[in-house]
Amino acid sequence: MTLIVFVMDVPTAWSQQMIGGRQYNSGNQFYHPLNQRTPPGVAGQWASMSGQVQPGYIQPMKFSLPSKGNLTFYAGGPDQAIQKSSPASIGFGVGYVYRVKISGMPEFPGVELYPTIELIDRLHPPAGLAEQYPIPVSFTAEDIELVLSGRMVTKVVYLERPQTAVPAQFDRQPTQTITAQKNLIAEADLLGRPMLILRMGGRLPSTVGEDPAFFGNGAPVVELNSPAVKN
Amino acid sequence: MKYYFLALGTLVVVCVGCAADGQQVIKKGEYHAPPAAMMQRPGPMVDGPGPGVLPMLAPPPMSAYAARTSQVRFVGPAGMKVGWQVAEGYAENQLTAPGRYNFNQGATYRLKLSHIPGRSIPALYPSLQVYPSHPTTDAYLSHNSIPLEITPEDLDQVESNNFVTKVIYLPDEKFQELAIAGVETLVSTRLDPGVDPVAEADRRGTIMAVLRMGNMDLEMPSGDGGSETVSQVSYDGDAGAHMAPMPIPGEMIGVASGVPVPTMMGGMGAPGQPAYNPIAGMGPTPAWGMPMTGTPIGLPGPPHIPLGGPASLKSHTIRNVSKTNLPKPVDHFLVDVKQDPAPSLPKPVKYVQYSESHPVHSPGQVSYPRTMAPGPGY
Repeated sequence: MTLIVFVMDVPTAWSQQMIGGRQYNSGNQFYHPLNQRTPPGVAGQWASMSGQVQPGYIQPMKFSLPSKGNLTFYAGGPDQAIQKSSPASIGFGVGYVYRVKISGMPEFPGVELYPTIELIDRLHPPAGLAEQYPIPVSFTAEDIELVLSGRMVTKVVYLERPQTAVPAQFDRQPTQTITAQKNLIAEADLLGRPMLILRMGGRLPSTVGEDPAFFGNGAPVVELNSPAVKN
Repeated sequence: MKYYFLALGTLVVVCVGCAADGQQVIKKGEYHAPPAAMMQRPGPMVDGPGPGVLPMLAPPPMSAYAARTSQVRFVGPAGMKVGWQVAEGYAENQLTAPGRYNFNQGATYRLKLSHIPGRSIPALYPSLQVYPSHPTTDAYLSHNSIPLEITPEDLDQVESNNFVTKVIYLPDEKFQELAIAGVETLVSTRLDPGVDPVAEADRRGTIMAVLRMGNMDLEMPSGDGGSETVSQVSYDGDAGAHMAPMPIPGEMIGVASGVPVPTMMGGMGAPGQPAYNPIAGMGPTPAWGMPMTGTPIGLPGPPHIPLGGPASLKSHTIRNVSKTNLPKPVDHFLVDVKQDPAPSLPKPVKYVQYSESHPVHSPGQVSYPRTMAPGPGY
């Protein structure tokens, strides 16, 4: 199975499919409470309240930049930052929203961006092998160029369904784009299990009086075995 | 023959009677609202604003994840200095474009744009209305800044004594052509005459900020000579003095402005003192009818001449020889008033049946991600 970043061109004629005893549907005749415009935190909160996933479960993540660069994670605010080089591994709690800083990219000198990661589900690896199966999160050069042009990029990373998984090895994380009129989360749910929502824009923390909530609400950040540099 | 006309007349009356119930003949189907003052105050003892101008009783609940500040990015022109109004006047040069600042949402700020490159304008004082976060814009505002650019065209319009309104909004999905979300800006000078850019932007999406700009100088000395307000405190950002902007009072968005008290009242008294209500003859208020001159005829002048000599005036008589015609006072007065068109309102509503229908989605009609679907726990 491959973790795929959403999404793709979906045929216009959708249909319900019964797979594994669950009804998969994303046609227009169904009501989808969540979409890519849902305020950050709602999907994670709902996931925590649903009982389907263990809230606070530390899910290993693996972040990567276009080539090189730094990733900064905030355990409790700007004063408790953990900086790592790309690719960086870190553990995030399920149900939380995390602010991440990406910087030091040679393709984009002087550029700093502050995307957020909303973790809404977890993987179920074999016991003791959790760190070998992290959720990959890649920031591509196309994403960063779009953000620098003043736009906002929203991605959903989902785990494809084993019944329809493409039996191929991918060099890079497959990414597909859909139109703004479609529901990003519903499309990801149609094709697999949404793991996280990645939102990236051009807002920077203010030098004077930035709201502490900008850096998150103190969600747990667990360092894994990857070499890290603490500030 | 006359029976023929009688039958024809009867037929016409019957037909007209069937077609009109009388209301159309009298009222012509028109309704004319009373004057605005009457609408605002429905009647005696029922004072206050009428229906339709009622202020909101409570502000809408805030989203639990709402962004509390909106980051406004002053894109250009590069080198322009941005200041804003503070309590003691204006804080100068707080930002240099391109620059950004986090403004509290739901408030209006008075900006001061100065040192505009290539322009001889001393300063512009636009107002910036930062809208509250909305569920459709919350994700965008917590990740993106609101781009605000003063273009050469805008400056040309302002220098030509025109008023420029720029509305920055996030378009709805159906108005988004690209897959990646981006803001759009509506400028009043590019729209057809009569089109409200705020209403148009509200139709297309969710407004995040509105900038209104003219060429009025708000720091000009007042015209009465010598009464110029001199601020004793100055904040110059170039000198390292930064000050947070102060919202314009009474311009809070989402909070209805207070309706003025309709009752005429006297001024407030000093602390601990009763209110000052001017009554003739009491306190500093002169008595009603008190002559302001010393002569008995009511005209100014010396009572006796020469001054300092003995009084010589023995008699002072005034006779009114005017041919006056003063009729008896009126005991009954009648005024016939006719207003055309007269106020005519539909009959008041005395019964309302309100039924609300919400979409109900059964478990087979709602699609959640698997994580959030109801079911057994992990």
